[in-house]
This record gives sequence, C-alpha cells and structure tokens, in this order.
Amino acid sequence: MPLQDKYRIAILSAYALALHGFEALLPSPVPWLRFGISNIITLTALVMFGFRTAMMITLIRVVLGSIFSGTFLGPAFMLSLGGGLAGTIAMGAVLSISRNIFGPVGLSLIGAFFHNAAQLFFAYLLFIRRIEAVLFISPVILLIGTLTGFANGLVADILIKNLLKNEQDSIQNVARA
Amino acid sequence: MKKAIRNTTIADRILFLLLIVTSIAGLVYTREAFSLGSDVLVEVNGKPVYTLALDVNTEISIEGTDGRTVLEIKNNKVRMREADCSNQTCVKQGWISKGTIVCLPNNIVVIVGSRSKKDIDAITG
Repeated sequence: MPLQDKYRIAILSAYALALHGFEALLPSPVPWLRFGISNIITLTALVMFGFRTAMMITLIRVVLGSIFSGTFLGPAFMLSLGGGLAGTIAMGAVLSISRNIFGPVGLSLIGAFFHNAAQLFFAYLLFIRRIEAVLFISPVILLIGTLTGFANGLVADILIKNLLKNEQDSIQNVARA
Repeated sequence: MKKAIRNTTIADRILFLLLIVTSIAGLVYTREAFSLGSDVLVEVNGKPVYTLALDVNTEISIEGTDGRTVLEIKNNKVRMREADCSNQTCVKQGWISKGTIVCLPNNIVVIVGSRSKKDIDAITG
C-alpha cells in the first residue's frame, strides 16, 4: 500500500471516528436511531480514493468506535460491523458497475439500505428470532434510513465537489509555477 | 444544498422515491397486518392484578380496596360498568380505547397500552 494511501486512510478514519463520536452525543428520540453521518466520510473516500480505502476506513471506524464506546466484540459490535461492511460493499459494488448511473446521493441511499438490511438480519439472528417483529420494524427503519441517507448523500456530494475543485486548483497552481 | 439537489442523477431521484414509497407502503401494511393490539392492565393498590387483551370481549369483576367494580371489554373498547362507590366517576367516563380509567375510592387503575415491548436489546455503535 503506497504511503500516501496510508496517510489518507489515517486522516479520513480520524474524521469518520470524530463524526461517529459526535453522533453518539446527539440527542435522539429513540436510542436506535442514528444518522450515520460517518458514512459521509466512507462515501467520499469511496468515490475519490476507491473501494480499498473506504473499506479500511469502515473497519477502523467500527473497531475503534466500539472500543471507545465499550461495546467491542459485544452484540452491538456485531450489528455495527455487519451493517458497516454491508453498506460499504454495496456502495463499492454499485460504483464499480457504473460511475454514471448513481451520484453520491444514490450511493448513499444504497449504502443506508444495505446497512439497515444487514443490521436487521443480524438482529434477527442474534437477538430477536421473531420474524414478525423484524417485519414490523423494518418499514420504519427503511424510511428513516432513506431520509438520513439522502441527507448524508447531499453532504457527501458537496464535500466531493469541493475536494475535487481544491485538487484541480492546486494542480493548476503547480502547473503555473 | 440546492445545487447538490440539482446535481442528483435521475437514477438517484427514482431510487429515493422508490424507497420512500416502499417504506410508507410497508408502514401502512405492517400496521394493518401485524397489529400487535393493546393490553388492558388492571392495577389495584398499585399492583398489577390482571392483564387482558383488548380484542377479546370479556367481563370481569375486580375486588378493590373499598368494594368491587365490573370491567367490560367489548369491540376493542373498555369501560367500567359498575362500581361500588358514591361518585361513579369511572362509570361515567364510558368507553375508552386508550388511556386510563381511575377509580379512586377503590384504588383501581385501568390502563390501556400498546402490547409492543419497549425494552431495548442493544444500542449499536
């Protein structure tokens, strides 16, 4: 792995972890509702630096985030890991098929959907074991996930546009010098 | 933010609408199909005495601290039909489908609540 990639992964993971920690402080009407704002970083990394970088960031965020919140290797960690991996893999797969069909918003929606689907699946396997309870809650989670995914996608879109613009500006500056 | 919304591709918008429509349809459907129903909880002197299903028609008499009352459940509604007390407030309250009926002289509280479990299994990080 090139050195530059390591730096990128380190700094982006730090951003993702900070957002993850910040999110835990936000008041929420129901404890399981989370906005998933750290997915903004995953998505930005995926679009700009590729799947491997995004995957590393997700893994680092989930593992370190759970260590900081004291849930490492617990059942909540399994849900978090399953959801994080499923969301990142789904977004990476869609992006690898085509870069033009879906923009960041669409990718974020897909990521949110697969994140929630995986979490529901693991929740069913690990704790609930009652399919009607899972079916009962899934439309609520799908709706919330779609709304938060949409908002995160918009933020990621703005972030990516600005980062690309900065990159082009710096390239032009280098060329001019 | 407006610019970002304008930047979305057609597929993005279709996906968004599709997910919203699916989830709302699912929401309506599951509320109809898997209605968990409500329970009628009867407490006497602060202790739970009976838990009854709201969708099963029954009639029970409850021994309060100062006499007895008769609770009737019919068509997903509850009422206190008779009470051995002077003010008859609980009887006058009539049929309810949610909320509480309180019979103060007898220390009886009837609570109609959702049967869904409110406990949390875990919070993911």
